[in-house]
Formats: sequence, structure tokens, C-alpha cells
Amino acid sequence: MRARRRKLPGAGVAVFAPPDATDHPLKIVGLHAWRVKEPVSNRRYTVVRLESQGGTSGYGEGGPALAAEIAAARGAVMGRRATDSEIIRAALGHVPSMEAAVGNAMLDLVSRAKSVPIYQYLGGPVRYKARLLAHLEGKTAVESEPSLERAKRQGFQAFTMAASQRDAMIPLRAYVDLVRKHVADMQVLAGSAAEWVLDGEGAMTPGDAATVAVALERLHPIWFDEPTGVITPDGLSKIVDESVMPIGLGRAITEIGGFQRLLAGGSVNIVRPDLGRNSLTKIKRVAAIAETHYVAIAPFHNGGPIGAMAGIHLNAALIHAYAQQIPVPASDRDASMRAEITSGLKEAGDKGFFALINRPGLGFEVNEKALDAYSEERI
Amino acid sequence: MKRRQLLGALAGAGALSAASGPRRATRSLPGNCGCAPQIVTATDKPPGGAAFRDVGSKLRITNMRVFGVTLDERIAQADRPYVFVKIETNQGVTGWGEATLEGKAGAAMACVMDLKDLILGSDPMQVEHLYQTMYLGSFYRGGPVLGSAISGIDQALWDIRGKVMNMPVYEMLGGPVDARGVRGYYHASAWTLPEARELRDKTKAAGVTALKFQLPDLLEWVETNAKIKRAVAHMEMLREGLGPDLDFAVDFHARPSPTVAAIILREIEPLHLLFAEEICPPENVRAMARAVRHSTTPIATGERLIASYGYTELIDMGVVDVLQPDIAHVGGVTALWKVSAAAEASGIRMAPHACEGPIGGIASLHVDAAGPNFLAQEICGFVDAGEKNRVWEDLMGFPAMRMVDGRYPLPTKVGLGVDINEAALKRYPFQGTRPFVMAFHEDGAVASI
Repeated sequence: MRARRRKLPGAGVAVFAPPDATDHPLKIVGLHAWRVKEPVSNRRYTVVRLESQGGTSGYGEGGPALAAEIAAARGAVMGRRATDSEIIRAALGHVPSMEAAVGNAMLDLVSRAKSVPIYQYLGGPVRYKARLLAHLEGKTAVESEPSLERAKRQGFQAFTMAASQRDAMIPLRAYVDLVRKHVADMQVLAGSAAEWVLDGEGAMTPGDAATVAVALERLHPIWFDEPTGVITPDGLSKIVDESVMPIGLGRAITEIGGFQRLLAGGSVNIVRPDLGRNSLTKIKRVAAIAETHYVAIAPFHNGGPIGAMAGIHLNAALIHAYAQQIPVPASDRDASMRAEITSGLKEAGDKGFFALINRPGLGFEVNEKALDAYSEERI
Repeated sequence: MKRRQLLGALAGAGALSAASGPRRATRSLPGNCGCAPQIVTATDKPPGGAAFRDVGSKLRITNMRVFGVTLDERIAQADRPYVFVKIETNQGVTGWGEATLEGKAGAAMACVMDLKDLILGSDPMQVEHLYQTMYLGSFYRGGPVLGSAISGIDQALWDIRGKVMNMPVYEMLGGPVDARGVRGYYHASAWTLPEARELRDKTKAAGVTALKFQLPDLLEWVETNAKIKRAVAHMEMLREGLGPDLDFAVDFHARPSPTVAAIILREIEPLHLLFAEEICPPENVRAMARAVRHSTTPIATGERLIASYGYTELIDMGVVDVLQPDIAHVGGVTALWKVSAAAEASGIRMAPHACEGPIGGIASLHVDAAGPNFLAQEICGFVDAGEKNRVWEDLMGFPAMRMVDGRYPLPTKVGLGVDINEAALKRYPFQGTRPFVMAFHEDGAVASI
């Protein structure tokens, strides 16, 4: 039952008076951005560095952004205090990749200025290690094997596997068998202790996704991620009503209201905001809604190492955060590049968990020479 | 000695205290009852435990005290002695919070101390971990007594966090969204048109832009034409006397049934209230929705709900326009922020309830200042600062919760910006719990208050 309710004038529309940032050490006086591309996978993301009047810098990562979007972000953030995260969230809401990059850079800057890790600034650690989920490259077992082997060496114990896509000529039963065989092949490669997230990449119809979910639910994957791109109540109810497979959704959503609708409709079991398009500040708000629905949160990430480490900090501060997804490159060149950016910090764990780093901000120094070397453009 | 007397005696001597001695390195954690053998009591994982040694701060909570503060009945309602919580740390940083619970002061004070084993020795910077430890760890989740106790402790933890980070709490929450301050409203009453006009002039002269009134009568679950007309006429008189540009809200105080509320709401739509508050009792969201669907008047509720979970149905069902959690009951800064965040996504605005002491009011301002969906902050004060404000100034050292140009100025000090004068507290010793005032209908039946 939904009662008729009107929004009050101005509800949801933020009208802000500028706080006085004059001469404040946290006043933002510079924004630099790198549009980065990994050499083999061609994975792209945007890294932002903010500088404060007090001389502290902070780094944040978002998804790919246009030069005009970076310029718009610079206009929005210059002169603001690095603590003005709500103003910036509203101002950059229409540019999700920059909202993520700038919002996270602000958190890094303030945390460095206060000499605390980001997770401490977000509310303190609720756990001392963060569960990892390896985002594997490749669509088939053969394609995924190099990425899987690297992930295993780096201490991951949970992995994504891309679900096979259905050709229109393949009968439904044959398609389900194809997916089942792919799962079996991956399990052999990874070993019996591995845990899995089946990644539908939003490509299935709700009907096919429901059939796959029912067929595989007794294999108990941790969840079935983005089974369909049809994120309507009716489309999703076909999946969640017909199976008990946990469903992860949200990588394409950038409005908090979109997550709220999924949660209110009972359409999601794991909320999956994309770190490339949602700042930690915004995701924390999504998490507040998810918590009241007893739904876990596990941010999606297929970007760079700065974004991955920001996700670790968020995971450390949210009680119902389950795991942080981190892309694990198949290629040595990509892996080496990521390690260069983090000045040698490895995106690696021990028995599936990443031990939190108790150092200011993100917890590592960003190597700008590496950013310069691997960027398509510096703005 | 009865429990109430004991609490009073202890408070008169200073405060309830749960100091940890210098040797205290471990806390006495609850044992297993035997019905849940899978539970392993982990002494290293509570906040500040060994597992967090390498990822947390060096701060540790060394003492927690709770103060009952009773004001003279002539200047404050007798049912709500203030319950203040003070947390002390090994590095000299202290934090204050408020756990005042109307009609249940002794229970709230006792509950604060019941939580001491979870608090002493903890790292106060782990505010979310401590919140979850108290809320989930209490097994019986929620309820106003636990909610108020958690609220007082949580506010004190945020006060410490802000002091350690050297910034006001609202900045840590991402604010302020409006540097001019936080819009507020005072309570008011006017029973005749001349009184309403005089109130209008006084209110405008003070720069205040909004007031809140109550209905003139108690209401039964089915009502007569006479009483409904009297309620509507009262509000029409207020609008006429206050004029078109002064906002006012009316608190129904959960007295009508949804049936009666729907009739009144229909009649008062042309008055364009700021909001109608607690139009019916709060327990049954679907029942409230029945009344709401007939009106365009903004509807507010939520002061009696605990933790963010208590608001889920209201938000999901889109029943109300305004939520009013009370920071002294809902679960402190942590829970009020979560409710605000959840409400924002549904276009619901926030007007937090505050009808207790000054610490809770000021703590609310910090969350208000960081919320894009904030509407207005309540305080149980009047356009004319009364004797209660003098007491608050005595306690706080400044005129707390007084508006300037319709807004509460934002605290400029670090943390919550409060520092209670403990010497002043002794001037208002705890006199024990007093029950909430009772109301009865004409026939002697208990009325909803």
C-alpha cells in the first residue's frame, strides 16, 4: 500500500549558501586530473588530486570522464573546504564519475590533514580486515585462467565469473547447461575452497536470469550479480520470486533514490554501487537505507587501485559491508602499472582478507610519475 | 532502599560512575547461556580490543558518568529531569551526551550504566562499532530506554571524535549545507485573535519565522461535530492572527485516531501549515496512511521511534513528508544521521524533535547542518527566553538554543561545542523520576498524550 504523499517545496533540492572558506587550511586551491588507461586491458579511469591552502593533497578515483566534466568539477570545488562533501555531492550529482573522484579526494585530503585513515574519519573501523572479491578478466575459463591464477597468488579466495551469454539460436535448456559447465570448469580451476559470484553483467532477460538462478541456486554461489539490465519491479520480481539465489544489483545506478526503490521493492539482496560513479560519502547514505532492509553492501569496482583502496576504507567502516571487489589483471603489464600507482602497495590479501592500513588518508603515497606515464591526458 | 532512591542518592553525591581502575585491561563480557554454543565469546574483538590494536587509535575510555539534573517544576516539566552522560579518556579528552527520557529518567540512567561493560576500555573513535555493539549486543533491540541510553553515549563519543579531529561534528558529517545556521521554531500558544496578533508581532520582532501549537482539546477515537469544529476554528484563528507569512505547525500529539485526524486534516488544508505533527498514534504505519491519503497538508511524525529501523516503513510506504527523530532517543548522532540519509532518498525532510535538555538540542544542530533535506529544528522554548534558558546558560556557559534571525547559529567550537559546568550541575541535584503527566477523557478513560 502506498499512500499519496507530496514532496514539500524544495525537498531533495539543495540550495546552499557558501560557507566562508577564506584562508582556511582546508580550502581547496587546486584540482589536477589524470585520465588513465591500463595498457593491455584498456581499463580506463580518472584520478583527481586536490590541493588545499594548507598544503595537503588528497587523491580520488572515478570512472572515465570528459575534459568538460573535469573542468566543471574544478569550477564546483575550487574555494570550497574539503569538508563540504554534501555541497559537492549535490553540485556534481549530474557528473557521477567526478562526484566519485572529487568526493573521495576530499575525504583523502581531510583524513591526511587530520592524520587519520579514511576509515577512521568515516566512523572508525568496525572490522580489522576487509574481505576481498577478485573481479576476473575473461569470459571463458580459458580466458579467465591468467587472472584467476594471479588472484589466487595474491590471496583472494572469492572470485567473480562471467556468466555465458545466450545466443538467440541456443535453446534455453542448452543455455543453462552451458552456464552450468562454465561454472564447473571455473570451480576445477580455482579449487574446492573457492567462493563465487556469478556475474550476469546485466545481459540476460529476466526470464533467462530466473531460469539460471533456479538451476544454480543449490550450488550456493555467494550471489548472482546484475543478472539483468531490466531493473524494473516486474522484471526483477520474476527473478527474486522464483529463486532463493541472492541477487546483487546496482552497478549502473547513480541516484540514491534508485537504490531506495530496489530495497523498498525487495528486489535486491546485495547492493552494488559502482565506486567509479558514487563517492564513499554517497555510498554511505545508500548503506544507511540498506541496513534497515537487512541487505548487505558490496561496492562494484572495475577501475584502478586508488578506487579499490578507497573501497577498502569504506568496507572497514560499514557493519554490513560484505566484500570489496578488486579487478585482478590478466596481464603483467597492467598489474605492474597498478602497483606503480600505489607506490608498491599490493592489492593483495591473506586468506581472502585485506589487512587495514593504519596510515593517514588512503594509507599510501600516490605515484604521480606513474599516473603521468599511463595517462592519456593530464588536465 | 528503592532503586529510585538509590539513583537519587548516588546522583546527589555527584554522579553514577563506572570508572575503570588503572589495572583494568579487560572487560567482563557476558558469558554464554548454553543455548547458543556456536557463539564464541571473543575478548579481542570488541571496540578497542586486541584485534583492533593495529588499526584503531590509542585513545581508551577510562570512565563513564551519568548525571541526573532536576530543574524546579516551575521552570521545566517535572517528568523530564535531564540525563547527561560524560565519557572520559586516557588522554584527557572528554565528551558529553544527553539521554533524557521523559518519565523514565531513572531507567535511562540505569541503562547507561548497564552498558558500561561494553564501553569501558573501548576506543571511542570506533563510534559505529560501539553503536552496533550496544544496539545488536543488547539482544532486545530498540525501545526508548535502550535507545536513550545509546543516544547519550553516542553523542558523547561524537563529541570526543570532533575534539580529537579538531573540528565541529557537522563538518565531520559533510556540512554545513547552509553556513547561516539551522532554521528553528519555538513552541507557542494563543487562545484569542488579539493574543495571536500580539504573538505575531513579538515573533516577527524576534526574527523568528516559525512556531508550533497544540490542538485545544483531547480527542477520542470518534469525535463530535462540536469538538472538530473547535479544533478547526482554533487553527483558523491562528492563521488569521499570525498572518499569511509566518509558518506554523500544529502538534496533534497522537491524540486523534486516524479516522478523526482525516476529518480535521481535510478541513485545515487551506491554512497551509508548516506541518501537522503526530496526527495519530505512531505504532501502526498503515493506519496512519489511511488518514494521510486524504490530505495535502504535510504530515510529520517520528519522535517516539527508535533506531533507523523504526522509520523504514514510513519511508518505504511514503506515508509522511517530515520525519522527527529525537536525538536523545533514536540512537544519537549516528542514528539520526542514518534516518536523515534514508529519508533524503525519498524526498522526506527532517524536523528533529527536541523537548529535553540543551545537549541533545545542540547535538541535533550538527546533524541538521549536514542534511540537505533538513527543514526545521524544534526546541521546547518560547519567543521570550524564560527562566529555563537562564539555567541552560548556567550549565553551558552560553545562551543555548536561542535563534538569531530565525536560525540557530552553528556551534563554532570543536566536537559538539558543549562543555557542561559540573559545579553548576550540583545546583540542580537529581530528585528522582517523575511520571509523564497523565490525561483522562470526560468519562474517566485514559487519553493518549
